[in-house]
Amino acid sequence: MTSAAIDLSNVEKTYRGRIRALRGVQMRVEKGEVFGLLGPNGAGKSTLVKILTSVVHPTRCTGTLLDAPIGDKKALARVGYLPENPRFPDYLTGGQVLDLFGALAKIPRAERRRRADDLLATVGMTKWARTKIGRYSKGMRQRIGLAQALMNDPEIVFLDEPTDGVDPVGRREIREMLVRMRDDGRTVMLNSHLLSEAETVCGRVAIMVKGKVVRHGALDDLTRHSRRYEIEAAGPLPSGDHWRSLVHGLGAEVRSLGGAPREASLVVAPTDEPEPIQALLDALRAARAVVRSVRPVRASLEDLFLEAVQSMGEEGAGVGGQKGRDAAGKGAER
Amino acid sequence: MIQTWAIFKESYLHLNSKKLFWVSLIISGLIVLTFGAIGIDEDGMSFLFWDLPFPLNSSWLAPGFFYKFAFAQFGVRLWLTWGATILALVCTAGIIPEFLSGGSIDVTLSKPISRLRLFLTKYAAAMLFVALQVGVFAGASFLVIGLRGGTWEPAILLSIPLVVIFFSYIYAVCVLLGVLTRSTVAALLLTLLIWMGFFAVHLTESALLMFRTQTEQQVQWLRDDVASREATLESARAEPKEGIVNTLRSGFNVNSKEAELTRRREQLADKEESLRAVVAWHTGVVAAKTALPKTSETIGLLERRLIDMADLSGFADDEGGVQMQFDDEDDDLPVPRDDAAVSRAIVEKSRARSVWWIIGTSLIFEAVVVGLAARIFCRRDF
Repeated sequence: MTSAAIDLSNVEKTYRGRIRALRGVQMRVEKGEVFGLLGPNGAGKSTLVKILTSVVHPTRCTGTLLDAPIGDKKALARVGYLPENPRFPDYLTGGQVLDLFGALAKIPRAERRRRADDLLATVGMTKWARTKIGRYSKGMRQRIGLAQALMNDPEIVFLDEPTDGVDPVGRREIREMLVRMRDDGRTVMLNSHLLSEAETVCGRVAIMVKGKVVRHGALDDLTRHSRRYEIEAAGPLPSGDHWRSLVHGLGAEVRSLGGAPREASLVVAPTDEPEPIQALLDALRAARAVVRSVRPVRASLEDLFLEAVQSMGEEGAGVGGQKGRDAAGKGAER
Repeated sequence: MIQTWAIFKESYLHLNSKKLFWVSLIISGLIVLTFGAIGIDEDGMSFLFWDLPFPLNSSWLAPGFFYKFAFAQFGVRLWLTWGATILALVCTAGIIPEFLSGGSIDVTLSKPISRLRLFLTKYAAAMLFVALQVGVFAGASFLVIGLRGGTWEPAILLSIPLVVIFFSYIYAVCVLLGVLTRSTVAALLLTLLIWMGFFAVHLTESALLMFRTQTEQQVQWLRDDVASREATLESARAEPKEGIVNTLRSGFNVNSKEAELTRRREQLADKEESLRAVVAWHTGVVAAKTALPKTSETIGLLERRLIDMADLSGFADDEGGVQMQFDDEDDDLPVPRDDAAVSRAIVEKSRARSVWWIIGTSLIFEAVVVGLAARIFCRRDF
């Protein structure tokens, strides 16, 4: 088994001895994948990322980041991080921000200059490199933040809501950047509220609710149970034993859709294998049913997310994570 | 070293973005220019081309001494320790709170640098700012004193570390408050309040030292006086014939002298009682002061180094000579006091205080305060 980029077996965080932000988090992120960390507000996503980047001290933490203990400074040199709503000092220019954080990552000056130029071009900010951050729009700050996260050529990048405040064109560019990062062999942990965005780029996800990981795995695996074929036929289905026995054999169900003149029937077959569907189609056609459409269906990430949240009895938000802690009062000490 | 320089550079850009950084430098420059424009020669004092109506000239006050004295008293004591320090505090007070409350602290903490190093480097950056400001002022003053006063005094450059150390005591408090409150304004205002507290302790101690010294002198004078009177009376009693003759000749009245002696003894007992109380209070305040930063004494070390005690004594003697004052002018047997001697004794006592007591104990205070601030910073979640 290859070593993981992140391997956590028991991460706990309790603020001020009473607010439990993380409750025994277990998670594994493989090297070179784009991993989505999802969950409602207050689920503990940001707290988890901050523990991994040593911004927050864990109450208990067993696990590794890039094969080193969590918080190891050498490992942090190989980490890039874009926090949610970054506010870089207004008195610095975009170029100076990249230089500062590059230097803090111990990159020599010549190398910093070269990388800064490349990254500014990548995020489309070359023209604004000498402008003070105070004059940037939110989207421009986000682009500079993304560039600084890549200044040290990291092996793993933590991105907390990277497309927040970015226009649709910028969002698309950032999504393309994420794919390029993955193709370059970097590991990306994406913390996002935009499920459609995460679904587009993430190979695997973890869904957190109330400080716990309630779903964790490849999107395909997580949605496997929901995969099905839906066959729509015009009008009520004709009588016939053959197709009925096939439907019964597949565990499928037949539903009636709408009324005249668009009355239709829907056969829902809980399988992702196409072969049994061929026989069912043949039987339906033999019984003179008019097949309008056949489509493979699977649950969306949004369905998965809502299901996970509801399964925890969650109404969407819970005061537990970083934001919950912020609401309770910032600056807690261990 | 890459990281340290990066933090210094960022701190410099932070300070540079505040106009006060340049305002402070410009005021320093103007003060030195004014300093250099004042002349003193045999004819008197002048400012550029105009004569000043002050009764001072170079034959009475050596130009070298004049410039050094002016530098220590006005340049350092007034400008650097008050004006420039307040401006420096205003400039630097935000370094830590703005760093803590800004949105980039989490990015910074995610970098491979220890929190303690990060904190101490930020702290040192503020010191560098003050060193730069004082360095410019002291360097220019060194040139002015050399060119105008004819005295090339390297000890003037001692003001750089002394003022930086002095500032560091105050800034340590500011940093602790900044870490606790995350508010620049709150940290600044509370620091100024605490600084005033230090100064109040210093003033209290100085006042008690003055009372103590004065009372010690009076107690000594009364002891001598009582001893003298006792000897005179003893002599009068031992030789009654001569005593009677003397009494007739000089109006010596044994009974009245005995009454005066009794009065002096009572005064001595009162003063000794006062002295015990003043000593107890003074010792207590000195003990409290030992635990606190000694801001005025730290700056006073420069004057101690620049101006000899002999120069100060001559200056005082020339100014007015020794005059005796009395506690109660209406008293028919008042207790005299020599205020000039008291002042000299206070200066001597102050100058006798060790550098260790002044700077060492102050640095211990600073280390404790900075250590506490660093501990909070290192353990805090952001």
